[in-house]
Amino acid sequence: MPLVSALAASHAPNILLEPGAEWEDFMNLHYSMAPQGSATRPTLDQQKKLRQDAEESFGALRAAMEQARPDVLIVVANDQFVNFFWNNIPTFFVTTADEVKGQFTRHRFHYRNHKELGRTIVRRGMERGIDFSFGEHIELQHTQVVPLYFLLREPKIPILPIYVNTWVDPAPSPRRCYQVGELIREVADDSNERVAILATGGLSHFPGSPRIGEIDTEFDHKLLALMREGKGRSLVDYSVQELLQAGDTEFLNWMVVIGVVGDAKAAYTSYMPDFVATGWGFVSWKF
Amino acid sequence: MSCYHLSRLLFDLKMNESCVKRALTDFEAVMSEYDLTDEEKAALRAGDPRKLRQLGVHGMLCLYIKRLHPEFRDNIYWQQK
Repeated sequence: MPLVSALAASHAPNILLEPGAEWEDFMNLHYSMAPQGSATRPTLDQQKKLRQDAEESFGALRAAMEQARPDVLIVVANDQFVNFFWNNIPTFFVTTADEVKGQFTRHRFHYRNHKELGRTIVRRGMERGIDFSFGEHIELQHTQVVPLYFLLREPKIPILPIYVNTWVDPAPSPRRCYQVGELIREVADDSNERVAILATGGLSHFPGSPRIGEIDTEFDHKLLALMREGKGRSLVDYSVQELLQAGDTEFLNWMVVIGVVGDAKAAYTSYMPDFVATGWGFVSWKF
Repeated sequence: MSCYHLSRLLFDLKMNESCVKRALTDFEAVMSEYDLTDEEKAALRAGDPRKLRQLGVHGMLCLYIKRLHPEFRDNIYWQQK
């Protein structure tokens, strides 16, 4: 069976934190790094509206995915010093565990991992000149579970976490991420199962940086317009530096999915800056 | 200049609950287990993420020094990764 569904969504922790006290905690901590960011601190009503809008967007993505009846969901995300540290930073990592778990505040997550698909991707990569790292244990973190909470709360199908180093310098080029996506598409199209894929992260934000609070909405809108037009491929010519400048290095996760969808036009996009740190973006492609 | 060991301590404050627990009672003893310069120790004692960042630590690891700060000890942020 071919690829049946492709999605991309932000994974900002405050999407899943409750408006009110939890958001205040989150903002207080981040603004301790960059006090100037607090100038636009959203009110409780704005927080609730953002949560509602995000749930609506995730609802559209979930409906698109469920309609495609996938057997597995590949999740392309970045680590943030949970599984990987400076002793070894993989550029691309495929999970070959039997199962994967994680926790986010009071929410617990536990999925079967599709290790056969993972091993097939690693093998095919080696034949094609893309040498993935792989391993049998990872802990899920907000970069996966924030979107999974809304898209696959019940572990009805296995997932397959794939990691891209968007997080520490040097990161792979958008072109390389696109090529990884092309490889995954090839494996999906050869598979007997119905494969869905989700990229997480972004859009514009500057976590842990003095620039936190800045959101390059213009750049984000440009990215979304290109996806709607089916011109995501043109982004392979961007440098990591250009993405970094716009706070969009996690878009490298999305570049993998753009390599998977090729010139397909996005069927759904939505976007909302959260007034705290991040431009929340949501996209789905139908096949 | 690498700040591997400084980063490692902050990574352990993120990932290792027993390290956090010990650091809350005797941070000097915990620091002595890592290969740190005097400047790095001073920045850790100051508890200011911005100083740690100036020493080359990744911004999101710097944040974890705040786990030891009374004002941020119970922050919801530590309940996710």
